[in-house]
Amino acid sequence: MQDSLSTVRIDHRLVSVEALLKTCYWFSRDFLCDVQEDGAGFSIVHLTPKSGVDEPMPHTRERFLADAMDFSLREVIANKTENVRELLLAKAFSESGILEEDPTGIFGDQIEESKPDGMFKILSNS
Amino acid sequence: MARCFYPLEKFSQTPSHFSLLPFRFTRFQNQELLVNEAGEFLFTPSGTVQALATGNLNTLSDLYKDLKAKQFLFDNSTSPLLDILATKIRAKNDHLTRGTKLHIFVVTLRCEHSCHYCQVSRQTAAKGEFDMSRVTADRSISLMMDSPSPHITMELQGGEPLLAFEMIQYLIPRAKEQAKQRGKVLEIVVTTNLACATDEMYQYFKEEGVKISTSLDGPAEIHNKNRPRPGNDSYERAIEGIERARAIVGRENVAALMTTTATSLDHPIEIIDEYVNRNFHSIFLRPISPYGFAVKSKNRIGYEMERFLAFYKSGLEHILEINRSGYRLSEVYSQILLQKILTPQGTGYVDLQSPAGAAWNVLVYNYDGDVFASDESRMLAEMHDWTFRLGNVHKDTRRSLFTSEAAIQMFEASCNQSLAGCSDCAFQSFCGADPIYHYATQGDMYGHRPTSGFCERNMEVIKHLFSYIRDDDPGIMAIFWSWINGRPAFALEPSCA
Repeated sequence: MQDSLSTVRIDHRLVSVEALLKTCYWFSRDFLCDVQEDGAGFSIVHLTPKSGVDEPMPHTRERFLADAMDFSLREVIANKTENVRELLLAKAFSESGILEEDPTGIFGDQIEESKPDGMFKILSNS
Repeated sequence: MARCFYPLEKFSQTPSHFSLLPFRFTRFQNQELLVNEAGEFLFTPSGTVQALATGNLNTLSDLYKDLKAKQFLFDNSTSPLLDILATKIRAKNDHLTRGTKLHIFVVTLRCEHSCHYCQVSRQTAAKGEFDMSRVTADRSISLMMDSPSPHITMELQGGEPLLAFEMIQYLIPRAKEQAKQRGKVLEIVVTTNLACATDEMYQYFKEEGVKISTSLDGPAEIHNKNRPRPGNDSYERAIEGIERARAIVGRENVAALMTTTATSLDHPIEIIDEYVNRNFHSIFLRPISPYGFAVKSKNRIGYEMERFLAFYKSGLEHILEINRSGYRLSEVYSQILLQKILTPQGTGYVDLQSPAGAAWNVLVYNYDGDVFASDESRMLAEMHDWTFRLGNVHKDTRRSLFTSEAAIQMFEASCNQSLAGCSDCAFQSFCGADPIYHYATQGDMYGHRPTSGFCERNMEVIKHLFSYIRDDDPGIMAIFWSWINGRPAFALEPSCA
């Protein structure tokens, strides 16, 4: 039974708990992932293959570590771009007409509104 | 004395600092595939994401310029262009602004076929109580017109809707009248097996501008096996109906859809060739829906997604070969995904949207007045599961349908941006969320991505298309663009042959 079990040690200075759990999530199709904290900033992951899974354990271990590092990278990118992403999405949808509530501010000008085909524009949200 | 130009740096100052823009990535055949928030992509050398994360990127390199041009990062020279990125994001999500466009009317549950995979209960043709009443029809039309969408598609479905032809004749003029009053563009489609269609019906459809969508599962042996009916002549009737419909209603107004059963999986070439022989120019290689009788009779017709993907890949290769030979034939699912990948636009295809297209972009009015979030929701209800029943036309308004408990529960699991497994996925912009599929197959609207057939299918199909895009074969890319643009590939023109 021990032959079919792979153990991976994760250093949380390099890979966060969230990135580790995301890695386990994707491995959960083929493996039972048993995660234990060792109390010293590391996690120990025991990977047990599910029935019908026939992957060499060294390969599984290598794949797990590579995926964990990728999720760690994604976390870095997401953290670095979180603010600009929120700004972009707010800007993208602010004039799309799908806001839950009417934004405050001036929504047009009287000259444009008086034209039959006048264009309305959000001028200010302050 | 030799003269030379000033170096490039003389004209463009080296940026002292760059900032990242949001993107997701995946490893792809020894490269990294980066996709930004607007769905623009770039293949980069392995190690690029690490370099971006640490800020250790040569700002004079071509890679830096490519990343800047595709808006994976910005510096002083491109910061004013962030507005453009926001506009691209909005364009990609344009389907959110329009309201429900597709409205499916189940005019009757009656049908003379007894298909194994039929997604609604089969009823004998004599049972009139399974027809839509005029009161229900009136109320359904009214609700349909309450949609803010300026373009409405009314799909008349069943059962076999032509068995309730009087109801069709009742619905069409009333829907047209209301569309005219409310200034909406109305398109009407009837989905029929054509087995009981008559020339009078075709004439009526021609006069009313109604389009016909029918079923063709392949050559006679496959089609008749999939679609049993008295006389075992479903194929013969479909072919005769297609030709009559084309002659009377017009070739451009007749389309066919196929369903892939376990029988079909071994015959992609024969099925595709049947479409070519029947002079169709598109085919939709779509898997069987995991609903209704398709679930009940899984042992008879069901199959694993891996087998479907093998069918799809060999089918797509054959379709490309057919295009190379000069006959234009598009594969619809690939075409939808290619449009999402290669162009700034999204698509109206409801199964690949986030928030999910159910309810937002499609509503189903059942014969008894019940309103469902999608055709698949109705199929579940036919199996006594009303989880996705939003309400009933006789007591609900559009607002109450969309604020019903069923709707709210579904909407919460409708955004792939916030679903486990999807939130980090590089293909998020091209894919969608499908709470109904995951509820039907996994008992949970949120779903478990590593074991999801929806995820497996889309992930694999998108990767397959990206492998073609990366190879950048001019002939294949010309074919792909011809599908997107609806124009012949230039490489296929006789002068270029």
